[in-house]
Amino acid sequence: MISVRDLSKRFGAKIAVDHLSFDVRPGVVTGFLGPNGSGKSTTMRCMLDLDRADTGNTTFNGQRFKDLPRPLHDVGALLDAGYVHPGRSAKNHLRWLAASNGIARARVDEVLALVGLDSVGGDRLRSFSLGMRQRLGLAAVMLGDPQTVILDEPANGLDPEGIRWIRDVLTHLAGQGRTVLVSSHQLSEMALMADDLVVIGQGRLIEQSTVTEFVARYAEHWVRVQSPGAAQLAATLAERGAAVTWSGPTTFEARGVDAVAVGEVAAAQHAVLHELSPQTGSLEDAFLKATAESQEYRSGGAL
Amino acid sequence: MIRALRSEWIKMRTIAMNWVLTIIAVVFPLVVTLITAAVRGGHADFDFRSLIDALTVTTRVSVLLLMVVAAVTITNEYGYGTIRPTFAATPKRSHVVAAKAILVIVYAVVLQTVVVVVGVLGSQAIARGKGSVADLSSVPEAVPALVGTVVLAALASVLGLGVGMVLRSTPLSVTMLIIWPLIVESIVGGVLVLLTKNDKLLGWLPFRAGFQLASIDSIGIDGGPSRVVGGIYFGLVALAITLLGAVAVQRRDA
Repeated sequence: MISVRDLSKRFGAKIAVDHLSFDVRPGVVTGFLGPNGSGKSTTMRCMLDLDRADTGNTTFNGQRFKDLPRPLHDVGALLDAGYVHPGRSAKNHLRWLAASNGIARARVDEVLALVGLDSVGGDRLRSFSLGMRQRLGLAAVMLGDPQTVILDEPANGLDPEGIRWIRDVLTHLAGQGRTVLVSSHQLSEMALMADDLVVIGQGRLIEQSTVTEFVARYAEHWVRVQSPGAAQLAATLAERGAAVTWSGPTTFEARGVDAVAVGEVAAAQHAVLHELSPQTGSLEDAFLKATAESQEYRSGGAL
Repeated sequence: MIRALRSEWIKMRTIAMNWVLTIIAVVFPLVVTLITAAVRGGHADFDFRSLIDALTVTTRVSVLLLMVVAAVTITNEYGYGTIRPTFAATPKRSHVVAAKAILVIVYAVVLQTVVVVVGVLGSQAIARGKGSVADLSSVPEAVPALVGTVVLAALASVLGLGVGMVLRSTPLSVTMLIIWPLIVESIVGGVLVLLTKNDKLLGWLPFRAGFQLASIDSIGIDGGPSRVVGGIYFGLVALAITLLGAVAVQRRDA
């Protein structure tokens, strides 16, 4: 269990994290979402005492990070796969980490095999691709077999197989009862992987809920209808206040009305329905709507 | 603490540049001293004191290189970002700083001792082989100066670590550590003498004072501090900068 309370961090005049509080429960994958510059990475650094928070604190199963005697056994964190010395081998990178927490050298070989890098363990890291460094970072996270896992954009640089692999690893870890907090900009991946969400914008908490609740609250809902009598059906629905958008000669989407109401109107008109399906927007749609007021950097429009 | 030491030792010995600098630091004074022994040995005007002098003067190059190695133990961490996994693995930053300090001191002492012992024994063997007298007892100030080179290397390494912690940049720190003793002190000394008309102040420039540790001349140059006083003064400067660096590491974001 991670408990973040009243966390604030300021860089000069810029407030990166603004009195942020949230909990991350064990046994599920919790997605940590926010637009660019929203303070996700700063929050993670403050949680691990790497950046000195101006206010607030974070506890991991009730303990402050700085009070953990051998933190790699409690909290495994991957903040940036680039935090390696390029002249060092993968094995030596893991060895110094293992030594710092009294972890046996044999564990280094185990985690390298776990992430599929055992054949290149002796290679210098300057020859590693970003995807290989991500795998190495995950190996470092797993060195101490920690109860809590924190990952910042772990899928960056991974190929599709790697992305699927990391999703499987994280859901497996959560399934073992561990606490898993992961930030990512790949919302489709997050939709597949996360159970809970913590969404922030401009350093402040926007929403903490399950993915289902978040999508239900912020994403758009509509009903897709296909019928030979679509014209009459659509006209009736429009009279009742629904917004109708045609997507084919006999197909339309109705907003502002639910599937039950559409079905009842169709039945009253003896209209044959070829399709009547409730539709919900994606996590991406919900995220963009939820964070619309907090987007610090916006695209300028079409090129 | 032992775990932090082990971890720091693995970090230090798995960087190729450290080995290159170490090899130069060890080989350079030995090559110069042993070649001097081979060339001068057997001559009528051979003076063992000049060999000891050659050894203590050339070990100053080793001192500079060991200082750079010490600085890089921390600046590389900031440069490559490994300071974050380091502090994520050892949240008590004071343990990391203390481990690095102990490591660079032990490293400098061991290497400089090897240089001194091999340099003295090797040059003695070469000189004696050519029929010259090469007894340490014939040079009264030899042993204090040779011990002084080891102490100087340890103090300078602490200073290097301190400068690294304050500046956090490898290019800046290395430049600072090289130009401070070689250029800055000459310029500052010149300006001081011009302004005060007192050349005794020259001996109180930190590196000049520190180099007194490794000088065969036990009396301070230019009326400056003696070996012991100069060493203590240099040590205090190194300690002050290192404490400043340790506080900076403790307070700043990683």
